[in-house]
Amino acid sequence: MPVIVKRWYQLISICISSMLLAACGQAKLPSGLVYCSEGNPESFNPQLVTSGTTIDATSNQIYNRLVNYSQTKGDITPGLATQWQVSEDGLSYQFTLREHVSFHKTHHFTPTRDLNADDVLFSFNRIIDPIHPYHLVSRTGYPFFQSIGFAELIESIEKVNDHQVIFHLTRKDASFLSNLATDFAVILSAEYGYRLLAQGKPENIDYYAVGTGPFQLSQYVKNEYIRYKKHPVYWGPTVEIDQLVFDITPRSTSRIAKLITGDCSVSALPKAAELAVLTQHPDVLVDAKPGLNVSFWAFNTQNPPLDDVRVRRALAHAIDKQNILEAVYNDTAVEATGVLPPASWAYSKNLSPNEYNPQKAIELLKQAGINQLSIDVWAMPVARIYNPSALKTAELIQADLARIGVKLNIISYDWSVFTQKLSASNYDSVLIGWNADNSDPDNFFTPLLSCAALASNNNRSRWCQKDFEHLLTQAQSVSTQPERKAFYQSAEAIISDQVPMVTLAHAKKIVLKKKNITAMKIRPYGGISFANTMQTSEENE
Amino acid sequence: MWRYLFRRITLFVATSMVMMAVLFIATGLFPADKAHSLSGIQYPTAEQQQQIEQDYQLNDNALLQFTAYLRQRLSGNLGISSNSQQEVAGELASVLPASFELSLFSGFLAVFLGVPIGVIAALSRNKAIQHSILAFTLTGYSIPVFWLGLTLAMWFGVNLGWLPISGQINLLYEIEHVTGFMLLDTLLSDSTYRIPAFHDALLHLILPAVTLAVLPFTLVVRITRQAVISVMNQTYIRAAEARGLHTFKILIRHAMPNALIPVLKSIGLMLGSFASYGIVVEVIFSWPGVGSWLVSGIYQRDYTVIQAGILSVSLLIIFLSILIDLMHTAINPMSRKELYASH
Repeated sequence: MPVIVKRWYQLISICISSMLLAACGQAKLPSGLVYCSEGNPESFNPQLVTSGTTIDATSNQIYNRLVNYSQTKGDITPGLATQWQVSEDGLSYQFTLREHVSFHKTHHFTPTRDLNADDVLFSFNRIIDPIHPYHLVSRTGYPFFQSIGFAELIESIEKVNDHQVIFHLTRKDASFLSNLATDFAVILSAEYGYRLLAQGKPENIDYYAVGTGPFQLSQYVKNEYIRYKKHPVYWGPTVEIDQLVFDITPRSTSRIAKLITGDCSVSALPKAAELAVLTQHPDVLVDAKPGLNVSFWAFNTQNPPLDDVRVRRALAHAIDKQNILEAVYNDTAVEATGVLPPASWAYSKNLSPNEYNPQKAIELLKQAGINQLSIDVWAMPVARIYNPSALKTAELIQADLARIGVKLNIISYDWSVFTQKLSASNYDSVLIGWNADNSDPDNFFTPLLSCAALASNNNRSRWCQKDFEHLLTQAQSVSTQPERKAFYQSAEAIISDQVPMVTLAHAKKIVLKKKNITAMKIRPYGGISFANTMQTSEENE
Repeated sequence: MWRYLFRRITLFVATSMVMMAVLFIATGLFPADKAHSLSGIQYPTAEQQQQIEQDYQLNDNALLQFTAYLRQRLSGNLGISSNSQQEVAGELASVLPASFELSLFSGFLAVFLGVPIGVIAALSRNKAIQHSILAFTLTGYSIPVFWLGLTLAMWFGVNLGWLPISGQINLLYEIEHVTGFMLLDTLLSDSTYRIPAFHDALLHLILPAVTLAVLPFTLVVRITRQAVISVMNQTYIRAAEARGLHTFKILIRHAMPNALIPVLKSIGLMLGSFASYGIVVEVIFSWPGVGSWLVSGIYQRDYTVIQAGILSVSLLIIFLSILIDLMHTAINPMSRKELYASH
């Protein structure tokens, strides 16, 4: 008998040692960078969406814009346009386009020419011209452009020659260049567009994307990954990364785990409470910057009883924001007193915020003649920069409201279902937020609370007020910062008084990355960009 | 035997029919329009609506609807996923291999480690070895799999950083989808990174496979041990010993074939819980198989995905149980005797 036992021992020890060998061996990786992203993009054209996940996956990777922001100063810098002139009256902008800019060559499309004025006209006419063959190809419309009233702003776009275009505006708009520099205002290929049209597959333009950006789309498998290849003839600074992969990992814990085990090198949107575990792993860096964002609880002001301003004020007074900051953000955010975050130049401290005062809330409800109030809140199922856990926030608010005798029902769906239903349904209130696309303060007001935004369903409060609208137009028509700041402060006062939404917090923008990732800059606004990122070879693995 | 085979096949068909009937009734109870929950098209055009009504005979009585439902499902029409707008059948085909890979690997781990250890536990005269094996298997048997998975992930992934704990492979390896079995695909691919990719895929497989293997492993050990003990006490073993055969030979030739029969049977009984453990493990380790697909379908209220997930998993369990039953009968002379005696 002992003979058998010995043989089995041998067998088992061989098995175990071979497994251990397998575990310790050296792994060689192809060059490239994996980014753990939080969800599926809805489309591959940022013109059609406002969701940050889609912007991250497309805007700065596949495409370029006419103009960019300087990451350091918040100034406008050249992009696909090398220079521009604004006319005296501020009503026309002439852009000179960069030469020798080539589009991606993919399996489906081989460009025969470089970028020219036709591509610019194609990209913007698609948005503003209702009879453009591609205008109705988008089933979701052009939410960002609709929310800022872009079609009404542009009178026409004129092609002067192959490398000169003029935008004629209907009115002066101080935020026009800023809006052209947002992640949404990308330049598509007209040649590709017309070829798809001839093939009868126009909808492919938004899925098999072709742009001029540093990376070209190679493969997308829903729920799993997006693979990009370096654009071999990119016009800008040489791209250091051969291959870029977005690993779609909706759970925040999984993203952190993948970062630790080396399955991805960069990740975003960690839950604040999970950051503690990273202190054990010195090769993972936590990069946090004050962000241009705001998370808020928007009331559907067209739905009774929330159409009554007293009810909205009562709810605003009932919420203990400090509690939310601690529990949800782990103090990685600052309390919001208004819509604008402290990182914006138009910010100044709100002197009369709706402070936490449950007693006052109860009295206000009594004045409004309401008892036994029960409302629904829709809480986003995914982590966003501005709110790492809307569900947890909703639960805290639920507890706060229970104290003033209001019952709150929390409703949640998967993200894509959530946004769909939010545009269609009759909700009471929603916990959501806004991450700025550019550093212009207008970006916090017009896309969120204007009447134009109401039409494009981006106005979650479904609120449209004349005085407020007038202030926004005035703020756009003046160009000096102090003047504009004064208008935006008055706008803040109206929001504080009318309470279409309760602003909760301005979160820091946190990016997690491996130590060997360098030269990756985080901007306070907009999506992530990997164009200039560099990766030193891994010594430790 | 042929008659028996025929009876088993009839049983398979009947059980599957009952299962599909239950699924069909459950589909009617989904909080959605019947056309939507059957086809997955949420906002059908007039044309599509007509097509759906015709395909599923929605205007006829329940029995005809059920036969139409059977016809559609059996011809491979599982509808489209209302979330991704893709054919559910295609999605299912792309997630099934990953689940097979995981469960086959765990199954092999469980059997090839479990049987020898069970034999050791049965034959070892050292009480300490016997008791420690029994204690270990009892512990393994009673640990909830989600806790075990998370704990292993915590130790080996997060704290030690030895093993990856999420997904099938590092995505920098661009592996073409051929068989769907990642280990095979890496070897079949013509990339220069073939071997490192295989290695990486293997590392990704270890933790989920070990987690999933624990339950069947402990069962296999305990049942093997019991079977070996009872077989070794039989008179024919003593006769073999008396003839002076080597113990190892006795074990392999005479004891194991009989001892493995109850092990086979217990594997058949375990399939159901193995499948549900598989779903939990897939979710914990973000393994892109049927389990995580089904669970995300449930979260997204993707009715066609839910149906297809349940349908495929339960059909597979029914099929495998009956297959194991057949194998059991084929190799077990005792049950063959019963079979012949019965008619």
